[in-house]
Amino acid sequence: MTGASGAVDDGSAMDDTSYDVAIVGAGISGALIANRLTNAGLRVLVLEAGPATAWTFDGYAAHLDHFYEADGKGPESAWPPAAGAPQPDTADLRSGGGYFVQQGPDSYGSSYTRLLGGSTLHWLGVCLRMLPEDFELRSRYGVGRDWPLGYADLEPYYREAEWEVGVSADAADQSHLGIEFPDGYDYPMHALPPSYSDQVLGAAVDGMTVTLGGQPFALRVRGYPAARNSMPRDGYQPVGAVDERGEGQALARDLGQRCQGNTSCTPICPVQAKYNAQKSLAKADRRNLRVIPQAVAARVLADPVSGQVTGVEYQRYANPDSPRHTRAVARARCYVLAAHAVENAKLMLASGLGADSPVGEGLMDHPALYAWGLSPAPVGAYRGPLSTAGIDDLRGGAFRASHAAFRFDIGNDGWRATTGAPDTSVAAAVASLGMFGTRLRRHLEATLPRQVRFSVAVEQLPSPNNKVTIDPRYVDPLGNPRPVISYHVDDYPRAGMAAATDVYQRVFAQAGIEDRTDSGEGAWFPSLAYDGRVFHYHGMGHFAGTHTMGSSAAGSVVDADQRCWAHRNLFVVGSGSFPTMGTSNPTLTMAALSLRTADRMIKELTR
Amino acid sequence: MNATRPAEVKRPVNVKRLQDLLQAAVELELATIPFYLCALYSLRPGSNDETGLIIRSVVVEEMLHMVLAANVLNAIGGEPRVIGAAHVPRYPHELPDGTVLDLLPFCPEGVEEFLKVENPQYPHKALDPGHPMVAGRRPKRHLARAASLMGAPTTIGAFYAEITDGLKGAAAALGERALFRGDPARQVTSEYYYAGGGSPLPVTDLASATGALTEIVDQGEGDLASMYDEDGDLGHYYRFNQLKYDRTYLPSDDAGAPTGPQVGVDFGAVYPMIANPRADDYADPELRAASDAVNRTWSRLLSDIEAAFNGRPEALLPAVPAMFKLRDQALVLLANPLPRGDGRHAGPTFEWMADH
Repeated sequence: MTGASGAVDDGSAMDDTSYDVAIVGAGISGALIANRLTNAGLRVLVLEAGPATAWTFDGYAAHLDHFYEADGKGPESAWPPAAGAPQPDTADLRSGGGYFVQQGPDSYGSSYTRLLGGSTLHWLGVCLRMLPEDFELRSRYGVGRDWPLGYADLEPYYREAEWEVGVSADAADQSHLGIEFPDGYDYPMHALPPSYSDQVLGAAVDGMTVTLGGQPFALRVRGYPAARNSMPRDGYQPVGAVDERGEGQALARDLGQRCQGNTSCTPICPVQAKYNAQKSLAKADRRNLRVIPQAVAARVLADPVSGQVTGVEYQRYANPDSPRHTRAVARARCYVLAAHAVENAKLMLASGLGADSPVGEGLMDHPALYAWGLSPAPVGAYRGPLSTAGIDDLRGGAFRASHAAFRFDIGNDGWRATTGAPDTSVAAAVASLGMFGTRLRRHLEATLPRQVRFSVAVEQLPSPNNKVTIDPRYVDPLGNPRPVISYHVDDYPRAGMAAATDVYQRVFAQAGIEDRTDSGEGAWFPSLAYDGRVFHYHGMGHFAGTHTMGSSAAGSVVDADQRCWAHRNLFVVGSGSFPTMGTSNPTLTMAALSLRTADRMIKELTR
Repeated sequence: MNATRPAEVKRPVNVKRLQDLLQAAVELELATIPFYLCALYSLRPGSNDETGLIIRSVVVEEMLHMVLAANVLNAIGGEPRVIGAAHVPRYPHELPDGTVLDLLPFCPEGVEEFLKVENPQYPHKALDPGHPMVAGRRPKRHLARAASLMGAPTTIGAFYAEITDGLKGAAAALGERALFRGDPARQVTSEYYYAGGGSPLPVTDLASATGALTEIVDQGEGDLASMYDEDGDLGHYYRFNQLKYDRTYLPSDDAGAPTGPQVGVDFGAVYPMIANPRADDYADPELRAASDAVNRTWSRLLSDIEAAFNGRPEALLPAVPAMFKLRDQALVLLANPLPRGDGRHAGPTFEWMADH
């Protein structure tokens, strides 16, 4: 990497034993914990499997160039993996290959990124809280399981996470479905302005009611809380681009202090107006932090009698294009696995940790459908952040006793994700309709700005059959196990898909949108049948489960503090700890849990 | 822009003159913006990345200086103006100290002009009218309002010192409350304007007014004893100094002797724009239309800024997309050689168009 700096080093001084905490993974959970612990005076080592190429501004710019040059513009197109730290790719489902070993019966369609900064490098930035009822699905609706902590326990940490990550929203607008904010609280930045599409759809849809499970729901197009810089409140200073360099001035930090509407949030925000975990890592107290990139944790070492973790064996590679590596062991008083829901489970299984607990089981995602159509009037498609609003009134309700809850993301990028428009729109007009010249231009002007797209994210419950396992037959170039995924989308989300389809069709009808959803367009997406209907679904990148938390060691891997039942100096953090995941994207809840865990660790380690 | 603090200037209390001087300050800061934007926009895409960051970091602070000057003017009951032929800067633009701002592409001579503007106390090989770069392209100089007001040649530092001293004198004579009678709702705050190295201060009294003026002066060359300002940011003069030497400053470096990594200055990867272009230079109708498009966007932007300075700070919100539009439209001109065949390219002229 170029311009290595600050606390990110080349790992030449290995086997340092003076660390208080060793963290595996520099994504959002690892970065938030490292930030908080170092600022409390604890000495922290972070091992990151991927390179730190986005840490410097010129390195980030190289990722941007990589995106510009890529043929496909999928979530991974800006973030190629290193040989030693392979990662899944959404295109793997199409090719049938890739990092995951898919055991079926259904395909798991999500991906993640193994780089310093993790998948926040290409997330959309939506920062929904989970609903109070999401924590109590078993007690309230007799499905799924309850969390060992409730919304009220996590609420103060949601607030801290919103300020740490830098979320733009208005509390008054987000107070619904049981979500409440203490008096006087508001998000650090004002809500982003609604896109023109949001305004047009809102005018048509707001106030319409639908009935679900016998209960009426009023629908409304509501702005999403977003980890994207907007106008600050109360002296909050928006954090711009990460520009870490050893020498010279880090002038790129001036960039990205406001969202500029570049419309490429996924896969890469050109100016870093959108939060990524490197921003939190950059705020750590550098005197107490050491980050070793290109260091893959291969095995967690534990005392067979006490269960105490004694070290993390890792493989360090100098060249991201080569699997050549050296081995070393990192030692500390306390350990954190923050490597991703799948990687955490994989590492625990490879290390024989938590042997009597359901490690790897309970894998979830939000299996999602696309719905697209043509609005009667232009909605200004292809402008603004990829999504600025959604319809999320059906995230909660008594119907959850019988089928999944869901929400609609409203896209601002036309049919890009669903049909490959605008390029394919041009090709179709030329090839199928024989258009050219002025007629072609008029046709495109008349259709592209009217394109509407919803993503329908559907809740999934945990099942012991949906899991990450390992198999010695399947290893990566460093000899580490590849994740073997067993996954089934059962009737609960399938019935949710059916209900969601009925609702989106009513919304389209209400707004006069001509439904152009065509399952043939996304024929490579895996399909599901329910009640005589066929749905093509894709992953939302929302991995959860795999080291679920519980109120006792029976049936769970970690406790409410994300501390491993079987290994008391080991914390396993992230969305893998979620017993259920509701319909919110997991990031803000992961962030809140991480901050809570960090506080618990500080209390204990600084005693 | 700015300069060192000169000897004290004593004048009788005259709020009208203070308002005139602050209006001139707004125009002075505004005049530097096209001057730097031309250099920034002339960098060929994919080249001079660090150079672009350096110029950009200065230009956003010049915009901040304009906002700060407008805040002070508003605080004493003035009405900042940035639109119309009387207020929009024209080039070549002569400053009170005789320095001339030329619209130039990024070039060694232009860097010398940057240095001269940011620190006129030092000797610089600035362009004289006979220099090949500007020969025949300086038909007439347009005198800055500040230059007319000051009468005799004077440094920018003396100009700002007169404002600061005048505010102090007026506050003492009239009382602070009577002097700072502007409506606080007219202040532009950090909600609406953001600039890496600093943020707009609402100006409501003498302390905040002198604070705002100090920020303008200090961001230029750093604080007097140091290359760095109070926030630890390198002064504009020294930032540009790095372009001259193609070396960045390390914290341990002495002024004028940067020893850090190369900046990567590439004067060859630049669109060779003619100096001080004028819309009248563009006889070709297509070229003229492209130039008018830039000037309409520039005029629209200035109209929004003027609205923001006069009670509607939210008018700055569309200024962000307008800046992108301005750049994209300017690149249409910059990327094209002029038909006359000497290899020079067209460029943005930053002229006021009433019918935007």
